[in-house]
Amino acid sequence: MSIVSVQPRRKSRRDWTPALLLSPAFLVLIFVVLVPLLFSLYTSFTNYRLIRPDSLYEWIGLRNYQRIFTDSKFWAAFGRTIIFLTLALNLEFIFGLGIALLINKITWGQRTLRTIMMFPMMFSPILVGYQFKFIFNDNIGLLNNALQSLGIGDGAIAWLVDKPLGMFTIIFAEVWMSTSVFAILLLAGLFAMPRDPLEAAKVDGCNSWQVFRHITLPFLMPFAFIAMTIRSLDVARAYDIVDVMTGGGPANRTELLWTMIARVGYDNSRMGQANAMAYVSILLSIAFTYYFFTKLIAARKYMGGAE
Amino acid sequence: MASKTKKQIGKVANWILTFVLMLVIGLPGLWVVLTAFRPNREILAKPAIWIPEKLSLDNFGKIFGYGVDQIAIPVPSYFANSLIISLTSTAIALLIGMSGGYAFARFRFKRKNGYFLALMLSRTVPGIALSLPIFMVWSRLGLIDTKMGMIIIYVALNIPFTIWLIDGFFRQIPKEMSEAAQVDGCTRWQAFWKIEFPLAKSGVASAGIFAFLTSWNEYALASQLTRSTDSKTLPVGLMDFTAQFTIDWAGMSAMAVIIIVPALILTFLVQKHLIAGLTFGGVKG
Amino acid sequence: MAEILLKDVVKNYGKLEVVHGINLFIEHNEFVVLVGPSGCGKSTTLRMIAGLEDITGGEISIGGTVVNDFAPRKRDISMVFQNYALYPHMSVRENLGFGLKIAKQPKDVIEERVNEAAVILNIEDLMDRTPAELSGGQRQRVAMGRAIVRHPQVFLFDEPLSNLDAKLRVQMRTEIKRLHQKVKTTIVYVTHDQVEAMTMADRIVVMKDGHIEQVGSPLEVFERPVDTFVASFIGSPPMNLIPGEVVMRDGRLHVAFNADQSVPVPASLADKTTEGQKVIFGFRADDLMPDGHAVPIMGEASGLRLTVDIAEPLGTETLLFCQFAGVDIQAKMYNPRMVKPGEVMDFKCALDKTHLFDAASGKSLRG
Ligand SMILES: Nc1ncnc2c1ncn2[C@@H]1O[C@H](COP(=O)(O)OP(=O)(O)OP(=O)(O)O)[C@@H](O)[C@H]1O
Ligand SMILES: [Mg+2]
Repeated sequence: MSIVSVQPRRKSRRDWTPALLLSPAFLVLIFVVLVPLLFSLYTSFTNYRLIRPDSLYEWIGLRNYQRIFTDSKFWAAFGRTIIFLTLALNLEFIFGLGIALLINKITWGQRTLRTIMMFPMMFSPILVGYQFKFIFNDNIGLLNNALQSLGIGDGAIAWLVDKPLGMFTIIFAEVWMSTSVFAILLLAGLFAMPRDPLEAAKVDGCNSWQVFRHITLPFLMPFAFIAMTIRSLDVARAYDIVDVMTGGGPANRTELLWTMIARVGYDNSRMGQANAMAYVSILLSIAFTYYFFTKLIAARKYMGGAE
Repeated sequence: MASKTKKQIGKVANWILTFVLMLVIGLPGLWVVLTAFRPNREILAKPAIWIPEKLSLDNFGKIFGYGVDQIAIPVPSYFANSLIISLTSTAIALLIGMSGGYAFARFRFKRKNGYFLALMLSRTVPGIALSLPIFMVWSRLGLIDTKMGMIIIYVALNIPFTIWLIDGFFRQIPKEMSEAAQVDGCTRWQAFWKIEFPLAKSGVASAGIFAFLTSWNEYALASQLTRSTDSKTLPVGLMDFTAQFTIDWAGMSAMAVIIIVPALILTFLVQKHLIAGLTFGGVKG
Repeated sequence: MAEILLKDVVKNYGKLEVVHGINLFIEHNEFVVLVGPSGCGKSTTLRMIAGLEDITGGEISIGGTVVNDFAPRKRDISMVFQNYALYPHMSVRENLGFGLKIAKQPKDVIEERVNEAAVILNIEDLMDRTPAELSGGQRQRVAMGRAIVRHPQVFLFDEPLSNLDAKLRVQMRTEIKRLHQKVKTTIVYVTHDQVEAMTMADRIVVMKDGHIEQVGSPLEVFERPVDTFVASFIGSPPMNLIPGEVVMRDGRLHVAFNADQSVPVPASLADKTTEGQKVIFGFRADDLMPDGHAVPIMGEASGLRLTVDIAEPLGTETLLFCQFAGVDIQAKMYNPRMVKPGEVMDFKCALDKTHLFDAASGKSLRG
């Protein structure tokens, strides 16, 4: 019955609809992100300074990169940024997991708790920064006032100025702001968790730690990766916090890559050099995002949800 | 008997932990809100005054230009700028995001994951790093310190995440819905607006709120690309309260409240859809 | 008039060809069922008729018009989906009237047709509910109602009953049949359930791996399968198929299964086969009955002695599972009595109803 076709087959037309639908998005991003970045890539090879427009054409090759790579202050800021991100992301994951497990256990008032938990996510980073600048203020801050009223310490702890404490306060603010991303997504993961494997594991003789370790946690990991990916998309918003709280100071104790870029670019108006630094920070962000995104894709496959 | 007490201890511990947690999350914000209603004298008092003697709206009146002592900071025009920039950029980002999200959710094409990753990576560029080249390009185009300039940037900033969310929401709607509508006589366009869009509406709305908040809260770019009352937004304006050595805590707190309140209300409205959208878009590739 | 013609229809997904040049003519008012195992291309074929998938090659025409490049809405068809695809944000009434509303029909026409469909499908009481408030069977009915209100030329069904429980499925089967008699349109119905195909179809199209294996009325397909695939796919239990070789014994062609087991080749097939040919001998369980059975065998019969492994009493009949020449086969018994496992029984095989297939190609030798 089925005859092999000898007719010339019509070439299936290529469907241009998705290209058409995606084109506005890509056009905007090319205009706002790609083109400026190419431009700045160019300026990172020049001696461009804002105050001297003609310096845009002073080609100096890799000298900007050489300069920043030999600058110990740059490496200090770079290292601090890595430490900052690693500590913040890990703490956010751990606290987020803890909070999710905690709220998952609570039955009464759970919805309200969940809503409250989401609020920090919506705070403007600049507000978070301000809020903690106020609370950690050595003179009139809530924290020092409370310690004083309770008679603990001598009352004037310089939270934002002191060497290790300065870093601590900005990490605290960052973790305060972003833990909810993890908590929310891990909680969603817990809700989506099927009961059968849990019960099967219990029947198989696992204690509750083993159940958590071998069943719950692996199931939650894709959700953690979603959170990591979302977070890594916008890690640099920590700039806002630091800018308000300490401005990178004092004496560069809280200087991160991003505040350094702002200082060199705008305050010292060395655009070329700032752009070179900016490229390093971009590569850093891309590396973070790419890492978590591939993890997410792998985890998705494992969950059987991939196309 | 022993296990029962153990259980109860666990329960109490749970509650205490939850309470501490909520305190840590809620207290800083509440403290700022409280400060916004207190006079500077009380805020700066040493030793601290814990119970407010009197709460008033003076600080708000001050920053909006009413009352005896006014402030030289044009908060109303910052507010208007923020509102105009955020609303416009959100509307445009939503349209573009719907179109792109729909493409990802409904069509098969080559290198789909690659395009998606490219979109996401465009979002990872740190705002401050992006501000340098945009500053240079914008100043050539005359877009520095204009609302238009900020709107374009925020559209670009919001597209990736909007697409991610909306893609997730469209994916939740079975493909057969639109097919059934097409068999029922709709064009693809009609099928979208009559069937798929109404079903994804709440999801699109929460993507919109997310985009709005991103624009509303953005600081790194706005702080470098806006100058005057023509385009300065609230987060940038907040820094007006810090002079070289003094900070107007009362005014700043009042302004903080103005920035927070819309965010809180909107969060409350979207929270449910947002969780669904994030997880769905992420897990079901 | 809504006849459907498929000419050399090919479908590619990227480089992968999943439908390999299908030719099929469906007459006006005919109820055609596409049946085949999972993944054989039934849905793809149906969706090409509907216009939901591009046609890579060949031609499809409906009512004499080539519709290759027509959008679904231009084809005057309606379709019932496996998961019903009811619009969740509309009431049942709005679901039914949606297509007419899109076609800008006047309000009174819409109302009249919707009510008419509601009466036909017996869903008048459900009109103001939303799909979420309906049971599976009710949703199924609404989906059919949505298809019939538009009075289309062609109905397409893609496994519409597979989400229902067994009892409801049987009931809906007859309802769809009845519906066909009432509304008189061409129906193309996809299923992988051969019982559905047998009971509902005017004509069955058996598909496999993107090809059509056989087209014919249910009885034709059942009684004269063109190859071993159709033979084993259609009918329950599936046809018994035993490989053997044609040999000459006692001056007559036999199919020999091993040194001492053989059956004579039925007279009607004697000239279609030659000595030494490798064949597959096929017969249905109904045609292998215990000797001295109440149902007499028409024509020639051949005796076999078999040991019963398992007996499955089904009420009016009992299914007997035996071993024959190393192959599991089934026989049927209509005299209700208990059969013990291991019992040795004499069987008679109705030779005139047996089949011979070429072992290499699987094609029937009846031609
Ligand atoms: N969008 C697609 N992309 C690639 N291959 C596809 C696509 N849709 C279907 N296929 C392949 O085409 C073949 C036929 O699929 P089709 O859905 O028509 O099968 P079917 O006969 O309807 O099966 P079932 O009974 O399981 O519904 C299958 O091998 C399937 O894997
Ligand atoms: Mg199918």
